[in-house]
Amino acid sequence: MKALTETQDKQDLHNDIRGTTQMKRTIPTKQLKKKAAVFAAAGLLAAGSILSGCGAGTQAPAASPADKQGAADGGKVKLQFFQNKPEAKVSFDALIRKFNAANPGIEVTQVNVPDAETVLKVNVAKNEVPDIVGMGATDTFASLSKSGTFQDLSGHEGVKTVQPAYIDMVKKTTGTAELYGIPLTSNANGIIYNKALFAELGLTVPKTWDELMAAAEKIKTAGKVPFYHTFKDSWTTMISFNSLASNLQPENFIEDRKAGKGTFAEGYKEIAEKQLKLVELGHKDQNGKGYGDGNTAFAKGAAVMYLQGVWAIPEILKANPAIELGSVPFPASNDPAKNKLVSGVDTLLAVSKTTKHSKEAAAFVSFLLQPDNVKQLITEQKSFSAVQGVAQDDKNVTGLNAAFEDGQLVDFADHAIPGTMKIDTIIQEYYFKKDMAAYLKKLDSEWEKVQSRK
Amino acid sequence: MARQRSVFYLMTVPALLLFFTFHTIPVIQGIFYSFTNWDGFSPSYDFIGIKNYLSVFQDGDVLNSYLFTFKFAVLTTLLVNALSLLIALGLNAKIKLRQFFRGVYFLPNVLSVLIVGYIFNYLFSNVFPVWGAKTGIEALSGNLLGSMEYAWIGIVIVVVWQSLAFNSILYLAGLQTISEDLYEASSLDGAGRWREFWSITFPLIASFFTINMVLSLRSFLQVFDQIIALTGGGPGRATQSIAHLIYTGGFQGQEFAYQSANSVIYLIVIVGISFVQIAFLQKREMDM
Repeated sequence: MKALTETQDKQDLHNDIRGTTQMKRTIPTKQLKKKAAVFAAAGLLAAGSILSGCGAGTQAPAASPADKQGAADGGKVKLQFFQNKPEAKVSFDALIRKFNAANPGIEVTQVNVPDAETVLKVNVAKNEVPDIVGMGATDTFASLSKSGTFQDLSGHEGVKTVQPAYIDMVKKTTGTAELYGIPLTSNANGIIYNKALFAELGLTVPKTWDELMAAAEKIKTAGKVPFYHTFKDSWTTMISFNSLASNLQPENFIEDRKAGKGTFAEGYKEIAEKQLKLVELGHKDQNGKGYGDGNTAFAKGAAVMYLQGVWAIPEILKANPAIELGSVPFPASNDPAKNKLVSGVDTLLAVSKTTKHSKEAAAFVSFLLQPDNVKQLITEQKSFSAVQGVAQDDKNVTGLNAAFEDGQLVDFADHAIPGTMKIDTIIQEYYFKKDMAAYLKKLDSEWEKVQSRK
Repeated sequence: MARQRSVFYLMTVPALLLFFTFHTIPVIQGIFYSFTNWDGFSPSYDFIGIKNYLSVFQDGDVLNSYLFTFKFAVLTTLLVNALSLLIALGLNAKIKLRQFFRGVYFLPNVLSVLIVGYIFNYLFSNVFPVWGAKTGIEALSGNLLGSMEYAWIGIVIVVVWQSLAFNSILYLAGLQTISEDLYEASSLDGAGRWREFWSITFPLIASFFTINMVLSLRSFLQVFDQIIALTGGGPGRATQSIAHLIYTGGFQGQEFAYQSANSVIYLIVIVGISFVQIAFLQKREMDM
């Protein structure tokens, strides 16, 4: 699963799955004749539909764009705003009401569905692209951009107000000179720590890898758990991976790897070693606990530190409103100047190429990028602003503000890795089996396998 | 006679049309796309011949998912059929509260597969380990689903628990077709329970046994919902079934055409297995 940059509850993924596979059949009460049995069985066989039917219902794209959207009726321009975060629905609804009130000629409606990326792809295949799309800078966004779904927004007035680091991330994700999405909010993952337990054990916030290891040893000696790992949910293994790989992988590693230079076995050795160290600083049942279990357990003081994105903070506070949390960038190396905060674009705004109302769509994008509106959004969502000069005041995350102000940011390493590799399952297997040589070998072989199928 | 025939056509043609529209056409589309490199949403695609099929045969993940799925399906089919036949015999006996028990045993079939999966997911994570710790057995004090070696057993347990209901009902229907006279005659001849079962009951429900075996193996080979609800194919890819691989690779991994090729092969495999099963089991019916 790619959706590491999403804060959504992972269960939402499963809502789209077809209902039970069981067939309810009427029960024959008379003895079936053998012939009938053959027929029934043969019929059921034929009905044994497999997934080749699923999703193949998406028609091959037609040449001309469908004229189904933006139909102005009653003189109003109707715009669809599709966004992928279920927990942001209410916040966006409030902003949309504000926009519609200020622009009587335009009516924006929000579309928010579970497993949004898959639904969006289906919409694109049907040539029904929503006018404005809000999503993460993911592999899906890159593919859609490359296949010509979105407009180039380089000339949009809002671009100038956005932190350049994020503009570069979007361009890097798509690998194009054009800018297909304007960053609106960003997220970060580092270490979330329990302030009360830190004070109790006399710990200071670690700034280097060695300090972090020393702190972890001290916690262990005190009989407490340093990190609360939740490896049953494979996507949570990506947090430690991203914290390390984003900071430690060789310069231009992925670009070189694509060109056939260098291997994971060489470039990721230090990363793999440090990953293993973190795994060993966990708790007994870390392979059997999931994200939800982790938020609750950490809120109750089961561990001193928690490797998660800032999106977990509202969940932790739900389980224990009284807890005091601190956040700090993950110190991957021993040079504090080199330890950047892993931060990615949480929501960017893209405009459909086939929309009939480019002007109105651009106006809505400008509206969302206004500092007061971004402020409202990040205050409710506990995310960070991609627009410069808008700070996040939440006391649980102020420890990250310095990195944002200095632009000490680095994108999630897994954004450059193709989704088909399912790197989260490879890392999960490594954390279970702890076999470093096999792990590095598998990264290389899976990478090559996926490239050969392209 | 002619009027009667038109009634039959009225009954069958609409169903046939619906089936063709919503099932046969998508299958043909899927086969068509398996020869392309379409990712599922791009406006264009190229024909690449059988390259996808060659890649499937070299893909370790595909082999891994086949091994898991067959291991799981064969064991689950045997367990479900043995247990549900036992339950059906019990529910067919003259016991008190028979109707009540029939209702209770049918209950799991009414529940949604996903909901049952999530409930068991919670139990495996938070309830069973506590019991395991109390009994002092180290192996049971962790989450079964969090183990690469044993997670599949957890899935077998859940699927068996939920599938018993439907198969029991089929066997029960079969048992009710057997005439009481036969049992009276056999008891006059002095046959014991055991003899009665093997010489009368089992041969007479042979066709139901066939249907049950074919149906359950076919549906367990397509296991998907329970995997989503319990492990998501993990840990690693330890419990990734074929259907799960096709879904995640095709819709989330943007390899729609490649996984279409995978599902075409899978279709052929399932149809082949079912035909072999039917041929073999029906011959058995004749012999009896």
